Amino acid sequence: MAPDLEYIGWDMPRPDAADKAAGRAVYIHDLTRPGMLFGKIKFSAHAHARIVKIDTSRAERLPGVQAVITAYNTPEIRIGFMRDNFALKKDRVRQQRDEVAAVAAINPRIAAEAVELIEVEYEPLPAVFSPEQALAEGAPLVHETDPRGAKRTDNRLGLRYHHESGNLAAGRAAADYAVAGEYSTQLVQQSCMGTAGCIAEFDQNNNLTVWAKTQIPFLAQRDFNQALSAMGLRGKNTRVIVPTLGGGFGTGLDTHAYEYIAILLARRSGRPVKILYDRGEEFARLSPRQSSRTHIEQGCDKKGRLTFRKIEVLLDNGAYTSWGATYPTVMLLPATSLYRVPNIYFDAGLVYTNNTYCQAMRGYGNPELTWALESNLDELAAEAGIDPIELRLVNCNRPNETTPMGLKVTTCGLRECIDSVARKLAWKNKRLSSANKKTGVGMASLIHVGGGGRIYRSDGSGLILKLDDFGNVNVYYGGVEMGQGLHTVLVAAVAEALGVLPEKVFVNPTDTGTCPWDVGTHASRGAFMAGNAAVAAALQMRDKIFEHARELYTDLVQKNIARMSKREPGYSPPDFNISQAAKDSRFEMRAGVVFVPGAPDDPVLLVNLDVLLRAIHFRQQGEVLVAEVFYDPPNELPDWNKGYGNMSAAYAFGAQGAEVEVDCQTGEVKIVKLAAAHDVGRVLNRQTLAGQTYGALAQGVGYALYEEVKSERGRIINPDFRDYKIPTAAEMDFPIELDFIETNDPAGPFGAKGVGEAGMVPTAPAIANAIYDAIGVRIRDLPITPEKILAALEKLQPSHSPIPPRKENHPCDT
Amino acid sequence: MMRITFSCNGKPAEVTIEEHQRLIDVLREQLGLYGTKEGCGQGECGACTVIVDGRAVNSCLYPAPEIEGKSVLTIEGLNQTDNHLSALQRSFVEHGGIQCGFCTPGMIMSARALLDENPHPALEEIREALTGNLCRCTGYVQIVDSIKHAACKDEKHGA
Amino acid sequence: MSAFAYHRPHSIAEALRLKNESPDARFVAGGTDVMVKINCGAMRPAALISLRAIPELGEIDLGETTSIGASTTIADLLRDVGLCTRYPLLSQAAHKLGGPQIRNLATIGGNLCNCSPCADTAPALLALEARVRLASPLGEREIAIEDFMTGPGQTCSPPDEILTHVLLPKAPSGALGIYLKKGRVCMDLAIVSLAVLLVADGDELSRVRLAAGSVAPVCLRLRKAEDLLAGKRVTPKLLAQAAQAAMDAVTPIDDLRASADYRRRLVGVYLRRALESLLYGNEP
Repeated sequence: MAPDLEYIGWDMPRPDAADKAAGRAVYIHDLTRPGMLFGKIKFSAHAHARIVKIDTSRAERLPGVQAVITAYNTPEIRIGFMRDNFALKKDRVRQQRDEVAAVAAINPRIAAEAVELIEVEYEPLPAVFSPEQALAEGAPLVHETDPRGAKRTDNRLGLRYHHESGNLAAGRAAADYAVAGEYSTQLVQQSCMGTAGCIAEFDQNNNLTVWAKTQIPFLAQRDFNQALSAMGLRGKNTRVIVPTLGGGFGTGLDTHAYEYIAILLARRSGRPVKILYDRGEEFARLSPRQSSRTHIEQGCDKKGRLTFRKIEVLLDNGAYTSWGATYPTVMLLPATSLYRVPNIYFDAGLVYTNNTYCQAMRGYGNPELTWALESNLDELAAEAGIDPIELRLVNCNRPNETTPMGLKVTTCGLRECIDSVARKLAWKNKRLSSANKKTGVGMASLIHVGGGGRIYRSDGSGLILKLDDFGNVNVYYGGVEMGQGLHTVLVAAVAEALGVLPEKVFVNPTDTGTCPWDVGTHASRGAFMAGNAAVAAALQMRDKIFEHARELYTDLVQKNIARMSKREPGYSPPDFNISQAAKDSRFEMRAGVVFVPGAPDDPVLLVNLDVLLRAIHFRQQGEVLVAEVFYDPPNELPDWNKGYGNMSAAYAFGAQGAEVEVDCQTGEVKIVKLAAAHDVGRVLNRQTLAGQTYGALAQGVGYALYEEVKSERGRIINPDFRDYKIPTAAEMDFPIELDFIETNDPAGPFGAKGVGEAGMVPTAPAIANAIYDAIGVRIRDLPITPEKILAALEKLQPSHSPIPPRKENHPCDT
Repeated sequence: MMRITFSCNGKPAEVTIEEHQRLIDVLREQLGLYGTKEGCGQGECGACTVIVDGRAVNSCLYPAPEIEGKSVLTIEGLNQTDNHLSALQRSFVEHGGIQCGFCTPGMIMSARALLDENPHPALEEIREALTGNLCRCTGYVQIVDSIKHAACKDEKHGA
Repeated sequence: MSAFAYHRPHSIAEALRLKNESPDARFVAGGTDVMVKINCGAMRPAALISLRAIPELGEIDLGETTSIGASTTIADLLRDVGLCTRYPLLSQAAHKLGGPQIRNLATIGGNLCNCSPCADTAPALLALEARVRLASPLGEREIAIEDFMTGPGQTCSPPDEILTHVLLPKAPSGALGIYLKKGRVCMDLAIVSLAVLLVADGDELSRVRLAAGSVAPVCLRLRKAEDLLAGKRVTPKLLAQAAQAAMDAVTPIDDLRASADYRRRLVGVYLRRALESLLYGNEP
C-alpha cells in the first residue's frame, strides 16, 4: 500500500451507517408525498388465458377509491428492451403474475379491498411450462406476433449469443480425456430485505417525478419518458430520484410494470401514487434470477492442458423479456476466458414459456455458467487422474494476455488466488471421516468484469464536485448506493484525491435532475467508475484551486501574518519567499489546508480551503468552483453474435474453496470452512470489501444448498420466507477466510477493480466439488438438497440405506 | 376504535387506534417512528423487531391493543440525548455491521434484547439470537462481530 | 387486512361469554399463527378474543401433575428452571420452535390448537403423555393430547371451547429424552421431528415413548416401535427393527418442503440416532 494514502485502504466507516443505525434512513417504504394515494395491482389468475371481460364497476364505487385502470382505459405502454411486454395486459395474460388492473385509493386497506372487487373473466388457454414443452411440435404460442406485428411461428426468441474460436474438431482430436455433462441452475429470488416500490407524481405541467427503487436512474428516466410519449405527453420529462435502497442485487436494473402502473394511476387520479410490494408480491410478482440449463464438454491432454470447450445453453425466458435474456453476455466471460482454452464453441438460446420472466441478479449469468464449467472441470480432472488444482494451474490465466473473446486482461492474480485457497484449505491433507459423516474439500475459480462492463451504448459515469464557502465538497454522482458501499468509496476517493477531510464531503441524493448521467450500478462497476470519476474531478478541482491560490495566496498569508503580529507582539514572520512560492504554484492541499511543500513549519503559511474559497467568491468577478467529469472507460461493446469484444477495462479474478461434511444418512451438507481469495486490484476499504464478500458468499451458499423459487404450472408455490429459505446467522457459523490479492490495475482508481459480484460466482461449484471429494457423488442440478444427495448415494451403492417398500394394506390406501 | 396507553421509548404514549391495527402500524403511522420496518408480515424476517417489556417481538404480529399498559422500545429509543448513538449502535457503525440498513433496526433490537439478558454472549449464542433476523447483504459475519465488540465494551443498557 | 374487533377478557368466564356473544370471533393467544394468516388475508375474523390477559392461563404449577397455563409463552416456558429440569424433553422441543421473537410471543396452547402436523411441542407432549384441560360453556374436561389433535389444523374441540392448561404427569425417574428436528435451515418448520423419552438400565429399556411429527396428518405415537423396544436389551438388530417399524407406521406426504420418502427415511435415521444418543452418548 502506498505510504501516503490516508483514506483509501483504511476502514473508514460508511458515511450513511449512523443514520441507518439510528433508524433514520428514509426508504421508499417511509416516503410520503402530500395527497399521496396507495396503488395496488390485480394480477392474473391464470398462466395463459384470454381476457374475456374485466368489470371494475364495484371497485370504482368503493368509497376512497380514486382511480381504477386497465389496459382498456389507458394508453398502451410497451415495456422491456424487446418491447414484448406491457404495463397492463390486454386481451391475453401470458403468466401468473400478469398485471390486469390497478387501483389507487386513499389508504392501502381500501386499495386491497378494491382490487378484490374487480372481476375478471378468463378463458384459459393451453400453456407451456418448460423449454421442452414450448419447443414441442404444435406447442401453443406464448406470443402470436413479435413486437413489430409480424406473425411468430414458434416460441424461440430471436436473441442469439454465439462464439467460436479455434477449431473445435481439432481440439477434440487433441484431447486424451473429455467429459460432457448437463448442468442446471434454479430460479432464485434476490430477496432484498426492502421490497420493491415507487412513488409517481406529476406536476401541473405534466412533468413527472418518480421516487424509484432503481439501480438505473437514467435508463429509467429514458424508459419513463418513452412511457410519457405513449401517454400523449411527448416532450415532458421524468425526474428519477433514488431514496435509500433496501438492497438491490439486480432487482433495480430494469423498469417494472408496477412503476408504469403507478405512473398511469398518478395521471388518472391527478395525485401522487405509491405502489409498494408486500413480501408475497415480491416473491411471486417480481422477476427472479434467471434459471439455466447448460450442456458442456471439456477436454484436456495427458499433461492437463485444456484442448477444447463446447458449451450450449438453453434459457427459459418466461413470458416476456427482461435482463435474464442477456445473461449470456456475461456467460461469455467464463465460457471463453476462464482458463486458457484454445478451441471454444459457445451458443445460447432462449425460449418463451408461460413461466415467470427473469431479471438481473448478482453475477448475471456468471454463477450459472461457472457452476457448469467448474463442476465439469473437476469431472475432467477425475477422468484424467489429475489433481483439480493442478489442472487449473496448468491452464491458469496470466496477466497481459488477450483471451479468445478479445478480453484484454491486464492484471491477473488468479494463480495467487488459487494458491491462497489451496493453502487455506490444507488441500493435500487427508480428511477425517466416520461411518456417517464424510468430509471433503473442493474449489473453483472465477473471471468477471472488474472495470465496468459495456453492455450498452455508453458505459460512462459523470461526476460533479461543487465547493461551497465553508469548504464543503458537494458530490453529485448518478451511481446508486444500495448498501454495497459506493458512497463510502466515493467519499474516500474524493477526500484522498482532493485533499480534504471525509467529514467535509457530502454525497447528494441520486437524482437525474441534478446528477450527471450514469448507465447504472451493475456489473460491479460502482467503485471503479465512481473512483475514477472522483479522482479525475478532484484533480480538475485541485487545478482550479491552485490556479486561484497562485493569485490569492500571498494576500491571504499576509493577512495571517498581520493577525499573528497583532496577537503576539514579538512575532517575526518566517524566512520564506511567499510571492515566489505563489508564482511557482508549488501548492499542495491536505485535510482542507493549502500549503507549500517544503516551506517552514509556521501556521501563517497555511491557508484553509474555506478561507481561500470565500476570497475567490466574494470579490469583483468572483467565482464559485465546480468541477465535472464524464468518465467513460476504455472498453468495447462486444458483438454478441461473434462473442467478441473487450467488454471491460479490467478483469477480476478469484478462487474459492470449501470444506464440507456430508451426513450420508440424512444427506445434509454442513460447511466446515470457506476460503475466498479475490484479485481486487487494490483494497479501497477493507471493511466494506469484506462485507461485500461475506454477503456474496452467503448468497452463494444459499444458491448452492437450499434456495429455490418453486414454480408449478407457472405459479410460485413458495412466495414467502417460510418456504424460501435464505441463510441466517446460524447457517453462517463456519470460519470464512478472506484473502484480497492486490495486483494494482492501471485502469482502476488507486489500482482497484470491481468486486461486488465476484463473491458469489464460484461458491456453488466449490461446494459441489467438495461434496464430490467427500462422498464421490456429483450433483449437477442446483440446489444441492439432502434428497438429491441421498438419491445420488443410492445410485452409487444400491445397498446403502434402501427406502423401505410400502407394506400392503397401508393406512393410506383407501 | 380504542384508546390505548403505554410507554414508548421511556415516554408515556396515548393513542387512539383501530382495533385491528398491529403494533408496527401504530409505531410507524401514529407515532412517526419509521425506524421499525415491515419486511414480510409473517414473523420470518425480523425487520419489525421491537422490545416489549424486555422481550424482542415481531411488531408485525403484535396486535396493537395488546400493548396496553406495557412498555415498548424501538430503535429510536436507543438514541441518547443530544442525538448520540448508543454504544451498541456505534459498534454496528464501526465494525461494518450495516450495508443497505433495512434489517438494521430489527437486528440491533434483537442484539439489544440479547445483551440485556446475556451481557457476554458466546459467538454461537449471538448467532442463535439472530436466527429470527434475516439479512441479505452482510452474510452476518460483521453483524456478529459488531455485537461481540459491543458486549466486550461492557457498557450498561442504553449507555 | 380487513377490520375486526379486538377483545381482551381478564377471565376464562369473560372469554367464554364474549365468544357466546360473537360466535364468529376467534380465540387468539400469541398470534404467531393467527396474525400471519390475518396479515396475508387468509383469515378475516369478525373479532379476536385474546387470551393473553387472563392470569391463570399464564401460570405454571409444578405439582404431582404439572399444570402449564395455555397462554404461557414458549420463552417463559424455557425460562422456568423448575419446569425445564422436570421435563428436559419439552424444553428441547420448545427451544427449537421458531426463533427468539416468535418464542417470546408463541404459546404452548396456541401451538397445540393450531395443530399443525409440524408443531414442535406436540411430539414432546405426546411422548410425555400430556393431557389438556378444556373449558367451555358446558364446563371443564380433560383429555389426552392424542385425542385432542385429530387432523391437520383440526382439534376435537368445538369453536367455543378454550384450551386452558396443559397437564403433565410426573416423568418417570431416570427418564431421558431427546427431541430431533430436521428443517431446511435452523429456523424452520419441521420436515421431520421425533421425540424420544425412555427409561433405561444400561442398554436395557424399561419404558419407551416415541412420537413423530410432520410425517402424518397429526403428530403420532409410534406404538409398534415402542412395543418392539420395551423391556428389551438394545442391539443393532433391534434398533434396525424398531426403525423399520417406525418407518412403516408413518404416512408422510410429498410437499414443497420434502418428499414422503425422505421423511420416512429420516424417521428411521432419527430413531436410531436418538436411541444411540440417549444410551451411548453419541452425537445425534
